[in-house]
Amino acid sequence: MRRWADRIHLAARLLVSVAVLGACGRAGDRQTAASQASGALTVTDDAGHRVTLPAPARRIVSVAPSSTELLFALGAGPQVVGRTTWCKYPPAALAVPVIGDGLNPSLEAVAARRPDLVVLYRSALNEAAAAQLARIGVPALVVKQDRLEDLARAAQLLGVVTGHSSTGDTIAAAIDAVLRTPPPPRHVRLAFVVWDNPPMVIGAGSYLDQIAGLAGGVNVFHDIPAASATVSLETIAARDPQVIAVLDDSTPVGEPAYTARPEWQVVRAVRLRRFVHLPADLFGRPSPRTAEAVAELRRLLEAWR
Amino acid sequence: MDRDLILALRNVSARYPGAAGDALSGVSLDVRAGDLLAILGPNGSGKTTLVRMALGLLVPATGTAEVLGRPATAWPRRDLARVVGVVSQREENLFPQRVRESVLLGRYPHLSVWGGERAEDHLAVARALERCDVTALADRWIRTLSGGEYQRVRLARALAQEPRVLVLDEPTASLDLRHEMELFELVRDLVDAHGLAAVVVTHHVNLAARFADQVLLLDDGRSAASGPPTDVLTRATVERVFAWPVAIEPFDGRPQMIPLRKPSP
Amino acid sequence: MRWLGLAGLSVVALTLAVVLGPAHVAWADLGRSPIVRELRIPRALLGFVVGGSLAVSGASLQALMRNPLADPFLLGLSGGAGLGAVAAIALHLGGPWALPLAAFVGALVALALVFRLGLVGGGGGGGAELDPRVLLLGGVAVGAFAGAVMTAIISVSEAAQLRNAFLWLWGGLSGASWYTLLVLCLYVPVPLLVLLAAARPLDVLALGEEPARYLGADVTALKRRVYLAASLLTAAAVAVSGVIGFVGLMVPHLCRGVWGQQHRALLPASFLGGGALLVLADTAARVAVAPRELPVGIVTALIGVPLFALLLRRWTAT
Repeated sequence: MRRWADRIHLAARLLVSVAVLGACGRAGDRQTAASQASGALTVTDDAGHRVTLPAPARRIVSVAPSSTELLFALGAGPQVVGRTTWCKYPPAALAVPVIGDGLNPSLEAVAARRPDLVVLYRSALNEAAAAQLARIGVPALVVKQDRLEDLARAAQLLGVVTGHSSTGDTIAAAIDAVLRTPPPPRHVRLAFVVWDNPPMVIGAGSYLDQIAGLAGGVNVFHDIPAASATVSLETIAARDPQVIAVLDDSTPVGEPAYTARPEWQVVRAVRLRRFVHLPADLFGRPSPRTAEAVAELRRLLEAWR
Repeated sequence: MDRDLILALRNVSARYPGAAGDALSGVSLDVRAGDLLAILGPNGSGKTTLVRMALGLLVPATGTAEVLGRPATAWPRRDLARVVGVVSQREENLFPQRVRESVLLGRYPHLSVWGGERAEDHLAVARALERCDVTALADRWIRTLSGGEYQRVRLARALAQEPRVLVLDEPTASLDLRHEMELFELVRDLVDAHGLAAVVVTHHVNLAARFADQVLLLDDGRSAASGPPTDVLTRATVERVFAWPVAIEPFDGRPQMIPLRKPSP
Repeated sequence: MRWLGLAGLSVVALTLAVVLGPAHVAWADLGRSPIVRELRIPRALLGFVVGGSLAVSGASLQALMRNPLADPFLLGLSGGAGLGAVAAIALHLGGPWALPLAAFVGALVALALVFRLGLVGGGGGGGAELDPRVLLLGGVAVGAFAGAVMTAIISVSEAAQLRNAFLWLWGGLSGASWYTLLVLCLYVPVPLLVLLAAARPLDVLALGEEPARYLGADVTALKRRVYLAASLLTAAAVAVSGVIGFVGLMVPHLCRGVWGQQHRALLPASFLGGGALLVLADTAARVAVAPRELPVGIVTALIGVPLFALLLRRWTAT
C-alpha cells in the first residue's frame, strides 16, 4: 500500500482545489434510506454513509489493489468484474478487466462494467466519485486503507456485502492476532525511504510502520503522524537508522539510484550499503497476508539485530 | 556655403517588402550645420521612412544616404549615435525612472562596457538639462511630468549624446500650443546658438514655415518641393499635396497656410 | 550603505543556513559535524548561487521582454525540464545523475525551440530578429505542450516512480552536495558575466527597440545574448533544484525599489538579494515544521509576497 499511501498524499496536494469542489458536491447526495427488507444488507462505510444492497454483490468493481486482494481472499474473486492496473495480486486478478489506474476513477469505465457494488479507497476525490455513483444508482463503499486495523474492518465490511461474513471475520481476527503479537525484544532502527529528491519517508500513519514495529523494527520516523512525509536529508542522517528499507517495484532492482550520490553518503546506512529490499507484492499495500509480511521482515532484520 | 554637410540623401528610393509601391522614390535632401530642416507631408507620404533611411536603419534600393560623407549603413551604430541624436515618435517607459537617469542614457554611445560614468558624462548631462531648461526637474520621476516637460527631457537626452545633428520625429504631436511653441523655440535656439543641425518631421505646416530654414515637402514618397519655406509653400503646391483648398498669407516674412472651408452648395 | 546592508543580509542568511537545521548539532561540533560539512554548507552555497542566478535571469528577461511580469520559467524551460526528467524515468535511465542531466537536456531543447519560434522576419535567415512578444507566446506554448506530454506519459505509464518526478520538479535543494556545487560554479560564471556586461544596453533597451538603436545599441545581438544567457542560467537552476518560483519574478522588483532601474546596480543587487532570499527560505523550509520539510517554493512566496506588498505601498505613495 506504500504507493497508494503516498499517491493519496500526492493526489491530495496536486488536486486540492478539485477536492474542495468535490467536497462541496458530496454533502447530502447519498442514499441514506436503509431498507430493512429481508435479505437486504446494510453497512456503514468509512465515510460514514450507510449503503444498502438487496443481496450479496455479484458484480464488484474494485478501485484499489488492497480491496482487490481482500475480495479474492474472501472468496469473492469470481464476483470481481473490474480492477485497476495496479491490482496485480493475486495472479487470478490479472484476468479481471481493467477500468483505469484508479487515481481519478473514470466513472464511465466503472459503470460500463455494470457493477452492483463499487469499492473505493478513502480520499476526498473518491468520496465525490462515490456520491456520483450513488446518483446513478450504483452502491459505492468508501474504505480506509492506511493501516492494518483499517484492513481488518474492511475485511468484515466486505465480508458482509459479498455474503462471506465468516471468512471476513476470520481474516479480521487473523489481522488482530498479528497486531497483538508481542514483537521480538531487540529492536532494529530503520527508515523507509520511498523517494530521494526530495527525501520522502514513511511515518506512523502507514501500515508499513506497523509491520516494522511488529517485526522488531523501530521506524525512526515514527514521530511523524502522516503516512508519508518529506524530510530533510540531514534529519535522516541525524537519526542514523541502522538499515534502510526499500520497496521494490515488480522488477527487483539493485541498490537505489541515490546510493551513489555524494550527499547521501552522510547517511551511514547508505554509505555502508545497508538496505533491506521488500517485495512489492507482499509489502506494497495492507494485505490479508500481514502475518507473512511481518515474518518476512522479521527474517530480513535478523542480520542487523 | 562652407558649413559642414552632415546628412546627405541623393535620389533615394525604398520599398517595404510586400508593399504595392515605393515608400520613397527619388528623394534628395541636404542638412548642413546651422540648418533647421522641416520635413512635411500628409500621412503615409514617407516622412518616417526617410528618417530611417538617413539614419542607416533602412538600406536604399537606389541612391545614397550618407552621414558626414560615409554611407549611413556603414557607420557602426555606436559611432553614429555620437553624431546623430534622435527623438523618435514613440518611446516606452515601463519602469519608474528619474529625469536625470533618463537623460544619462544619452551618454550610452560614449560609455564603455564595464567603465563607470566619468566627470565629462555628468557634465554633458548637466549641460543638456540646462539647455533644455529642465534642470529643476532633474530629480523628478518621469511619470510625474507633463507632456511638454517630458518632450524637453527627451530632447535633453538627445543633446547629452553631444551630436552634430538632432532628428525629431513628430515631437509636438500631443502637445498644446504653448508647449509646442516652446519646443520649436528651443530647437531653433539650439541650432542658432550651438551650431547644431536639426531635422524636424512634423505635420504642422505653419510652425515649420515659421521656424525652418529649409523645408522638404513629401507627397506619396516623392519630393513635391524642397527649399526655403517661401519657395516650397505656394498655394498651388500645398493644395495639390494636401488635396484641400488653402490660402497662403505672409506673416513675419514667412508663408502661413490657411485652410479654406468648402463653399456651401 | 545599501550595499553593505545587502552584503550583511547575505552573510546572515548563509550563517543561519549553516547553524540552523532540523538535526541538532551542538555548537562545539559545528566545524566537525559531517552534517554541517557535507550537507548544510554546500546546500547553503548552492542555494545562494541558484537564487542569485534566478534573480539575475529574471531581471534580464524583464528588461528584454519589456514586461514586469516576465519570469525565468515563462519561456518553457520548466516544461522541457520536466519532460526530460519523465523521459529519463520512463526509459529507465540509470545512474544517480540521470534525472538532472535529462532535465537539463530537456530544458535546452525547449530553449532551442522557443528561440527558433521567436525568430521573426528576415526571409532566409539574414535579418531574422528575436521578437520578445513572440518569445513569450512561444515559451508559454512550448511549456504547455511539454507539460501535456509529460502528464500523458505519466498517466499511461506504469512506473510508479513517474508520479514522484512531479515532486522533484516542484523544486528543492535536497540534491545539494559539494560536487553539484562545483559543477554549477564552473558553469554559471559565463552566462552570468554575459548578463552583467549587458547591463548598460538593457538600460537603453527599456526605451524601446528603435530608440535603443538610435542610441547606438546593437539591439539584434543584445536580444539573442540576453535570451540565451538568461535561459542557460535558468536551465542549470532547474536541473539542480527543480522549479523554484517567485525568486526570478519578485527579487528584481524588490531590488528596483531600492537601487532603481539602472542594471549596473540592479543585476548585482538582484544576485545577492536572490541568493539571500533563497537561502533564508530554504532554512525556514527545513526548520519550520521539523522533522518535515516544506517545499522551498512555498516559503519563497510566503516571505516574498509581504515584502513586495510593502514595497508596492511605498511606490504608490510617492
